[in-house]
Amino acid sequence: MLDQSKTNKITSDLLSHIRLNYAFKLWMGFLITSFLVCMYAYITQLDKGLAVTGLGDYVSWGMYISNFVFFVATSLIGMLISSVLGLSGAKWAAPLARIAEIIALAFAAVAGLVIVMDMGRPERLINVFLYGRIQSPITWDVTVVTCYVLISTLLLYIPLIPDMKYCYEKTDNTPKILKNIYKALSLNWIGSDEQKKILNKSVLILSILIIPVALGIHTVTSWLFASTSRTGWDSSIFGPYFVSGAFVSGCAAVIIAMNVYRSSYNLKDYITEMHFDKMAKLLVLVSLVYLYFNLNEYMVPGYKMKKFEAMHLHELFAGSHAILFWSVQVFGLIIPIILLLFKKMRKPSPMLIIALFVLLGAWFKRYIIVVPTMEHPFLPIQNVPFSFKVYTPTLTESLITLAPIILVLIIVTGLSKLFPIIPIQETIDHYEETK
Amino acid sequence: MFRKNIIIKITIAFIITAFFSLQLNAQRWDVPSNKKAKNSYIKFDNNTAKSGEEVYTKNCKSCHGDVGKANGNKTLNPQPPDLSSTLTQELTDGELFYILNTGRNAMPNFKNTLSEEDRWKVISYIRSFNKKYVQVLSKTDPSKSKLVKINMNFNAATNKMNLSVVANEASGPVVLKDAEVMLFVSRYFGKLQIDKTIRTDKDGNATFNFPKDLPGDSIGNLTIVAKVSDEIYGEIESQTKLTIGVPTDKPSLTAKRAIWNVLKLAPWWIIITYTSIVLIVGLFLVLIVRNLFRISKIGAQQ
Repeated sequence: MLDQSKTNKITSDLLSHIRLNYAFKLWMGFLITSFLVCMYAYITQLDKGLAVTGLGDYVSWGMYISNFVFFVATSLIGMLISSVLGLSGAKWAAPLARIAEIIALAFAAVAGLVIVMDMGRPERLINVFLYGRIQSPITWDVTVVTCYVLISTLLLYIPLIPDMKYCYEKTDNTPKILKNIYKALSLNWIGSDEQKKILNKSVLILSILIIPVALGIHTVTSWLFASTSRTGWDSSIFGPYFVSGAFVSGCAAVIIAMNVYRSSYNLKDYITEMHFDKMAKLLVLVSLVYLYFNLNEYMVPGYKMKKFEAMHLHELFAGSHAILFWSVQVFGLIIPIILLLFKKMRKPSPMLIIALFVLLGAWFKRYIIVVPTMEHPFLPIQNVPFSFKVYTPTLTESLITLAPIILVLIIVTGLSKLFPIIPIQETIDHYEETK
Repeated sequence: MFRKNIIIKITIAFIITAFFSLQLNAQRWDVPSNKKAKNSYIKFDNNTAKSGEEVYTKNCKSCHGDVGKANGNKTLNPQPPDLSSTLTQELTDGELFYILNTGRNAMPNFKNTLSEEDRWKVISYIRSFNKKYVQVLSKTDPSKSKLVKINMNFNAATNKMNLSVVANEASGPVVLKDAEVMLFVSRYFGKLQIDKTIRTDKDGNATFNFPKDLPGDSIGNLTIVAKVSDEIYGEIESQTKLTIGVPTDKPSLTAKRAIWNVLKLAPWWIIITYTSIVLIVGLFLVLIVRNLFRISKIGAQQ
């Protein structure tokens, strides 16, 4: 049996961040103020319709849809870390599982809102459920995103049950109502063998179930594009291409979150340099896979240069989107891969900067996938003003695009103030095993 | 020296002139003289120009641009001219009408897509940019077109369609000689011309070779359209339904279950795949929620 003092230290360390301090209030105040500013922009869109955006007849998918794809992509990391690594017995990833799950849940839940933001008449969303055709990838997407949010919520909550007990018993200065919530959420947890057995079995079922659903969520998102015959989207590798890209942005998001939590919540003993080293290697691996898919996606049609493909590819390689295209590939993928091969770079601080670049690159990569194709329809665009032919996002649109990103930060920060970010019970068990 | 220079200069001048005249020839329209003299039976005024502008915006503007602004489509070869230019305005009404009717290269013909009235109205719109233009009206009286009757007779043995065109004047029947006749069959999108455009003989008759293999509806009905164009009586169109096609009974594309059909007619494989996936995931979620209740129950008992 582990000595009591060690258990107490772990518990108090891991519960220490569940309190409202000055820094948190300042940060949350900043987030909420920015969010309200963005919501004001959204209200103008509700009032005037999509005319306040740069979208039009030809480019009808712009930053909002890029944002949606980015959100769905980033949410896939929950599956990779808590399920794939967990099932394969990679014990080092255990302390990161909850961070990954929080990121997954926040991004997946907000992704649904991002789609609503792209609607000029959001009250018509109900029609998707009333008149949706199951032949349409849009219906599949709505279904699979809902499933993923449900499973992610359960996968975040179930391993939390034993920790809820600690939260109820060991936290001080928490309001009574929060204590009651912890008690209710702990489901009378006493840690009996029978309870543990059911809990482990449930986690196992969810870990397996989430793999096809997570692959499904991003594959279906890719099919929203790939099931049309438009240049740049008409590709048979879009499913795996999107999924591998998803792991890149997800890993970057987790690395950033690890960094922030570690320094602001004083968790240096629990999220160690070893974790960063392993995450860096994981990021290199998934980035290499993604680079390989990029090579296939652009090199193969680029070698053939079929009439319409050529128009699209020239625009990406040397035309008006070239700077963005090459920046994304070089600064968001190739340079991070090379840098992370060096041991010196696999430390928390350099990785924070690299991960920010990767995440930014991942966002613009979605933009590069969505917008240029919309600017190249098969039927020529004639007799319209120049502004219809190219897409230029407006300020209002940019603020509305920013809103869900801020909302994710609010959710991620909020959840980390309510629940222990490192699983307490698992950490105790782990020390017990290795003693 | 002087003479040599002159010879070179003359040669160069000759080559340049020849080159330009070739260029001009390439752009010139070869309009038959009887077509050239054709005039509109509609009097051009502000109203006809205005409705002509609507037709122009829909059908002509995408290539010719705004009249007078020389902003036509520059990527086409030959370039569509600005229609207020002298190049266009010095053509006769008949020539413009012929150009509209026949088309050339990238320019489509509008004979079958625009009515004669609309075609003249477009010309009226184009003429409204020419201050010096004076209209010559044709002697065609469109009100008389109502008097004309087209009789269609199909000879199944020889596969020939015979048309006789007669105007029932108050003074008695008058046959339409040397009138232009066209025969069409209605299809899904527009009309299919049968045989060639011919002229009626001295008895007002015209005979067309009719194909044997045209698909008709479920019992072989074809909608036949005859168009007659006469100097005096104007344009006359007549339609009849004849059972001379091949009976064709293809189901509509939305009759069977298909991926493009409504929800009720979705393909079975999609219904089964989608429903079973949702059910399986749902079943597991129910199982997990049940497990949560079990955990809670065990804790409460002890």
